[in-house]
Amino acid sequence: MSIAIHYDSTFDGFLSAVFEIYRQHLDVSSFVAERSYETEGEIATDLFAQPFNIETSEDSARRLKRAISKAACSDVLSLLETCFRSETVGIEMGILAYLRKLFAGIEPNYGRNPSSLEMIPLITIARSVRREMDNMLGMVRFNKAPDGMYIAEIEPKYDILEMIVGHFRGRYPNGTWAIVDVKRGFGVYYENRRTHFVTIPDPSSIAAHAPPDQFTQMWKSYYDTMAIKERINPRLLRRCLPVRYWKHLPERSLGTFSSKPLPSTVAKENAFASLRLDVRR
Amino acid sequence: MNIREKLNILGDAAKYDVSCSSSGSKRNSPQGGMGCGHSSGICHTWSADGRCISLLKVLFSNACKYDCAYCVNRRSNDIPRATFTPKELINLTLEFYRRNYIEGLFLSSAVIGTPDYTMELLIKVAKELRLVHHFGGYIHLKAIPGASSRLLFEAGLYADRSSVNIEIPSDKQLQYLAPEKNYDSIYRPMNFLAERKLEYKADKSKFSPKFLPAGQSTQMIVGASGETDLQILTLSAGFYKQQQMKRVYFSGYVPINADKRLPVITTKPPLLREHRLYQADWLMRFYKFEYNEILDEKNPFLDPDLDPKVMWALRHPECFPVDLQTADYEMILRVPGIGVRSAQLIVSGRRYSKIRLEHLKKMGVVLKRAKYFIYNSDVPPELHRLYPEMIRPLLVAKPKSDQLDLFDSMPAALPAPVTTQSKALPQSTVAQLQ
Repeated sequence: MSIAIHYDSTFDGFLSAVFEIYRQHLDVSSFVAERSYETEGEIATDLFAQPFNIETSEDSARRLKRAISKAACSDVLSLLETCFRSETVGIEMGILAYLRKLFAGIEPNYGRNPSSLEMIPLITIARSVRREMDNMLGMVRFNKAPDGMYIAEIEPKYDILEMIVGHFRGRYPNGTWAIVDVKRGFGVYYENRRTHFVTIPDPSSIAAHAPPDQFTQMWKSYYDTMAIKERINPRLLRRCLPVRYWKHLPERSLGTFSSKPLPSTVAKENAFASLRLDVRR
Repeated sequence: MNIREKLNILGDAAKYDVSCSSSGSKRNSPQGGMGCGHSSGICHTWSADGRCISLLKVLFSNACKYDCAYCVNRRSNDIPRATFTPKELINLTLEFYRRNYIEGLFLSSAVIGTPDYTMELLIKVAKELRLVHHFGGYIHLKAIPGASSRLLFEAGLYADRSSVNIEIPSDKQLQYLAPEKNYDSIYRPMNFLAERKLEYKADKSKFSPKFLPAGQSTQMIVGASGETDLQILTLSAGFYKQQQMKRVYFSGYVPINADKRLPVITTKPPLLREHRLYQADWLMRFYKFEYNEILDEKNPFLDPDLDPKVMWALRHPECFPVDLQTADYEMILRVPGIGVRSAQLIVSGRRYSKIRLEHLKKMGVVLKRAKYFIYNSDVPPELHRLYPEMIRPLLVAKPKSDQLDLFDSMPAALPAPVTTQSKALPQSTVAQLQ
């Protein structure tokens, strides 16, 4: 009977599981990550597989990491970790398939070959994780709380919060700020040049501390003026800025503010008016 | 006038400048300040027209003394005018930056007073941001044509990127449309900044101050003055080579003013042409194409139906099919449907195993286009016997057929049975019908 492995959803936990698979010669059919934010119903379980719980062991994870770096290279290790962050269903089996072939040692230089059939899908997934990470650098929106702290809420598809923290530490080294991953109930808090990772049981209450202020409104009305009416292209907009992010972007989620007529509208109206005059003459 | 109205007016006046990038400058956060440069640039949001917004793009003032035909801010337009004070603009930039709305400031201005006076105002803002507020974010400053070289030099010390827009791709047309400007006044600041940057580059000490770390860019309006695509590409190739430009932008002409010298005001912006020009631009920047390979005197316009890379491939059947197992990287790059990423994957992967069609599919190669141009044991050989004239119709996107409407042709097919109905209808309706 095949086995469904339950582990604690960390990368180290997954590596410990792989370690145990090799040590105990387990016949694995699927992995089940036990994530705190997913309820029982959401986790897809295999009815015909026997559940098997594996405790995370740092020691075995470290040993496996060393083995991967040795058999392939350290870049591959970080690529696997990036893939793992995608939390895609079945990603563990994909990585396991790659590792099995890597450690089997049948093909020489398998670890360096980026175009093997097991590696290409992993590269594609890692690419989309990195893309979301890069996009998220620009899409974190801070609101200022009355006590001077800047608070942002994000809801990324992949688990990328830890990957973007370094960027914001370099950008606002002297500030006090917090970024909260609402979906995963997990946040980072930065104060006095120290970062703290915290789990947040009730992430929806965070936003109330920092309501939008006049700069948020100015940003929204600036954003609205920047679109050139003659070129409006909703499909392109949705491709560049997927709708799932709009909720936490004030420029897409706030209502429009009335503004006085803009130079481009006035100029265009005047031009049409002068044309009409010409026609009448 | 409050600051929000000013921001709206001056943002609106600046939006026809298409330069958006915040790339090319790597800067750590200064001591005691905030902000850093991200070398690949960061887009912060996209406006409703699908253009990215990464910098706070505003004019310092839109009260222009020039009268360029194509410009919304020209002297003869009766529009709302506004001017920032340096303090307002600096405060706005810093507050937006703290909230991570923007990557930095893109500051341009209409010419107020003299070019030198305008340039001084722009420099004042940049200088105060850098020196007083220790701002490490991105600053893009416009070089005002006609400003003195001392000021241009100073701008280069504080800005990451600078740009002068050439706007119209021929000197004669430029002087016709913008009587106060000519090519000399535009090329002079470009050349000056390019030369100074070269000097600074030669001095490689890590303590020497940075001078325009992200280089220069420029933009051209497409479709306002009857220029050809060849003219535009020739000019931009020259900019990349001689002035070491980082980017040349194309801006499809959006009519705002009714002017006899320009296309009529109801003209639609030439979006497809702009798109093809950017594709050609990409070929020159990332695919090692020369401008005269993409276009020549005989065909001075890009094909609207097919992208320039396919067009090149169809004009050069002698180079194809390409054997992916042995061909040079440069040649693989030239195969339609293969991009830079997949070309690199192919070159590094083929050392270890044979590249098969299923590999290519997973790499993201567009086989729909590539299959006619590659030699691979999985590709059916009859595809290689096709002539370019036969491949072309296979590649052109077919026009979408309309969904037929059941009731469209009804009145023609069946004459309305008025006579039978008229009995049941009241008298007044019958009178109307007749």
